[in-house]
Amino acid sequence: MKQQTTSISKGALLLNHVKTFLSKPQNVILLLLGIILTVSTVAPIIAIVHDTIKIHPGTIDAYITKKSSGYSLVNYTDLFTSRLAKQNLWIPLLNTIILAIGSCVVSILFGGIFAFLVTRTNLAWKKYLSSIFIFPYIMPQWTLAVVWQHVFSSNVITGTSDGLLASMGILMPRWWCMGLFPSIVVLGLHYAPFAYILVGGIFKNMDANLEEAATILDTPKHKIMFRVTLPMVRPAILSTILLVFGGAMGSYPVPHYLNLVTLSTKYVSLNVKYKGEASILAIIMMLFGVAIMFVNQLSLKSRKNYTTVTGKSGQISKINLGKRGKYIIALIFVILTFFTSIFPIVSFGFETFLPNPGDYSFLYTGNASNLTTKWWTASDPTAENGLYGQLGILHNKTIWHAFVGTIYTAFMCSIIAGTLGTMIGYAVSKNRRSKGANYVNSVAFLPYLMPSVAVGAAFFILFSGEKINLFNTYTLLIIVGTVKYIPFASRSALNSMLQLSGEIEESAIIQDIPWVKRMTKIIIPIQKSSIISGYLMPFMTCLRELSLFMLLCVQGFILATTLDYFDEMGLYAFSSGINLILIITILICNTIVNKVTGASLDSGIGG
Amino acid sequence: MKKILSVMLIVLMACSFLFAGGQAETKKAEPVKELTAVQKIIKEAEGMTMEELAKKAIAESNGATFYGVGNSSRGKSALPLFIDYLKSIDPSYNLKFEWQQPKNNSIFEMLDADSKKAQGTFSMTLIQDGNQIESKMVQTGLLDRFIPLEWAKANGTTADKVEGYLPLQTLNKVFMYNCTGKKTYTNVWDFVMPGEHGLFMGIHSEPVGVNFLYMLTADKYADALKEACDALPKDKKAIVEKEVKALSKEAKEFGLGKNGAYGLAWIKLWVTSYNEQTDDGPICNTLVSSSATDQFGLLVYSKLRSVQESDSVSKNNIKVAAYEDGYKGFGGYGYCHYLFLTDNSPLPWTSCAFIAYMTCTQNGFNAWGKDIGGYSSNPEVAKANEDRHHHSVSGMAEDGVTVKFKALNDKGLDWWLNEGGLVVEDPEYCASVAFTVGTWIEGLRK
Repeated sequence: MKQQTTSISKGALLLNHVKTFLSKPQNVILLLLGIILTVSTVAPIIAIVHDTIKIHPGTIDAYITKKSSGYSLVNYTDLFTSRLAKQNLWIPLLNTIILAIGSCVVSILFGGIFAFLVTRTNLAWKKYLSSIFIFPYIMPQWTLAVVWQHVFSSNVITGTSDGLLASMGILMPRWWCMGLFPSIVVLGLHYAPFAYILVGGIFKNMDANLEEAATILDTPKHKIMFRVTLPMVRPAILSTILLVFGGAMGSYPVPHYLNLVTLSTKYVSLNVKYKGEASILAIIMMLFGVAIMFVNQLSLKSRKNYTTVTGKSGQISKINLGKRGKYIIALIFVILTFFTSIFPIVSFGFETFLPNPGDYSFLYTGNASNLTTKWWTASDPTAENGLYGQLGILHNKTIWHAFVGTIYTAFMCSIIAGTLGTMIGYAVSKNRRSKGANYVNSVAFLPYLMPSVAVGAAFFILFSGEKINLFNTYTLLIIVGTVKYIPFASRSALNSMLQLSGEIEESAIIQDIPWVKRMTKIIIPIQKSSIISGYLMPFMTCLRELSLFMLLCVQGFILATTLDYFDEMGLYAFSSGINLILIITILICNTIVNKVTGASLDSGIGG
Repeated sequence: MKKILSVMLIVLMACSFLFAGGQAETKKAEPVKELTAVQKIIKEAEGMTMEELAKKAIAESNGATFYGVGNSSRGKSALPLFIDYLKSIDPSYNLKFEWQQPKNNSIFEMLDADSKKAQGTFSMTLIQDGNQIESKMVQTGLLDRFIPLEWAKANGTTADKVEGYLPLQTLNKVFMYNCTGKKTYTNVWDFVMPGEHGLFMGIHSEPVGVNFLYMLTADKYADALKEACDALPKDKKAIVEKEVKALSKEAKEFGLGKNGAYGLAWIKLWVTSYNEQTDDGPICNTLVSSSATDQFGLLVYSKLRSVQESDSVSKNNIKVAAYEDGYKGFGGYGYCHYLFLTDNSPLPWTSCAFIAYMTCTQNGFNAWGKDIGGYSSNPEVAKANEDRHHHSVSGMAEDGVTVKFKALNDKGLDWWLNEGGLVVEDPEYCASVAFTVGTWIEGLRK
């Protein structure tokens, strides 16, 4: 009898615990999103692991095992031990690691130096430079790769059409034109805005007392820089590495256009005859993502005190570059950013008026008949007007269908990822010391650290089966985009929620205001700028995403795959036109959001 | 003795009986492959005329949406003409359609993914790369072949007797070189001599291009390479012979014919020297430019159609190697666009009718036929197409006498097969060497 009472009370106690637990909205959010995110992260990984042991008809595993179905470990043995192992695995792996590290170095150096100059010196034209500096991130990442080709390729060295420099008689060496070096530079420039935003944020808020104390102690300037200033930005550098490493590793278009064999490009080429082995490459890329996450966790645990905002000193000492120096250095950056931001847009615009792709006759001759508007205006489907069977951009249904598809996908990803991310940020901030919250926070961030091609491949395998077949549907793009971009919103929301004092919400709870009202009337309005950034980033990233979506849909579905298709076909007028449409769309969206909400990518840093 | 003989005979007869019975049993044991629903429709459709098929299509798909997928984007241009044809029979007929053209080899993944549904999205496909079609699509039963009655008649055969798949057309990739300099290419081995770097879609960019290399190890083309080698001057011949000697062991290992090593030698020299491009489009753009002096490439012939004359770009900056006098060896590579129904086709009758329309009428083929370098598999359609578009003289000036653009005068499929020595894809052969010769090719380093 006594035993029964105990068990009843234990049961009631448990029920009570559950009820109490679920009475808090943040716990319900954590529980639900914990389950959803675990499934959306783990299921694709299981699917791709399964693919590595499955026998695929018409591929190497079927040939070696002499079976057309079933399971085998032959993909592993062949990939790691065959005579093609060096070519199919080790060289691409080495190139990928060098590319990822190199991109981190370039982006941190370029973005970091620029951030320092903008925030800690009296550099001229800061506002303009700050806005223009983030352009390479706004543009599709292969934009600069294509520009690189247009500028440096030459008939003599690369065997292709003469680029701009070659047409002036300047020939660049092969290592400069294609391969590792240009890939590192292009990806480094693309991701430099990350470093600029993260490092700049710290530089801007840094307490000048530390440097002043060193100055009072007569410490040489270079020593202050290396022993005081730079160590303070270590967390920002680590965050940049975290974001750039995975991004560079999973980049497909840049190494593809610049002729570098990486795990991503190898994944695509191996898919024809070595499908299972390609899936192993995707797993290797994913392992890097997991490893980066662990490094991040370790660094968080061991991190020393990097407090930069003390509240005791609001004054930032700015280095004087000199009367001329501040203009000379600014001019150097104006020129640099012209080539990384303005020139691509001008070059794309010009390309759409050339009679043949890459035919710069107009430049040599000044003859206006060497220009044409056909790439925009051709409307007769039966006429052979030199457009390889396509209609001009203004009349091309494929392009405009892809445009609508892109906007739809980006909008949906942004809404869903932004909302879920905000919920995660809120729930984690409310339970910041619980293991569950940490788990949800980490599992939400994991897909971002995984290379895009690998994530795309995993979702392709998961959703192209007998029971769930979503291949080539917007639903699939939205699911994948949402999973991949939740971290943008969750990190942004978490940071802003952590700044909010718990008392604000508590006072509303005391007045018995329901949770939905608390969120919509109090919490979200206070932190609207950060939360809107959490919606804006997925939207803008999704607009020009290729690596993630390229395996999930065909061209004509979204602009990025359509652009890639035209680029591969050598129809640069179309790809340039689409690039222009994309860039203009992103800039318009960024400006509207900036005007309406005050949120933007570089908000606050450039002054 | 008689008794012994009798017993032996009885045993022998019993064995024979048992053996025969066993054989009968074995035959019975072989599973009789039951036709799928789509295959049954195909069987019926193969006995129908174009008009009968059209009526079936009208009954099946009026008001529906038709999804097709192909390596060529022109299915999209052919479908409206097909719908007009059906409307000419029944004016109330209406069909919405969507035609998709995946890149990067993903057509096979799309079809594979779609095949897993009980009823697929795609009704039919226009697909290239015989090797992958054979090993991934046909042997696995994902795609079904349909031979239209009129097509079989035009080719002097019947559906049952046709071997292989149904090609819509043969396309050719040909060697072309920039002729703004003095350099000429008079032998197929010239393209792989030291210092030469032909523009070519990489072996990983376009698998159908790899099939070209596989085919060079087949007896017919290896013999042709040997013959071309014999016509080389001494110094060049020595270079080739050295490679041939070095590769004779591999040729033996792969079970190739007596001149197989010549095929391997050409492949090795080509793969280690070519300049990889993403598509034939950029190759064409490069070669027609006046700055591309002495460069050459292997590219789809029809790409020339879209070149617009300008101060630095001209179709006269290029020559088709095989058209030049005294050229020895093969002038290019021919491969097919094949037509199939998916085995879970949602609109099988409409697919059969559309396939028949494309392969048996000039209008149906016109989307492809309007360009040089694509040849209908139906001789009657091919003739009608030439009568309409005059590709053999498309490079002539309006006076019909002056040659305006020599490279545009398409000499036609017969010429290419007989005089131009076109290497033609054989899906079965390609599939048989994909993991022997194929793996060896992948191991070659630049």
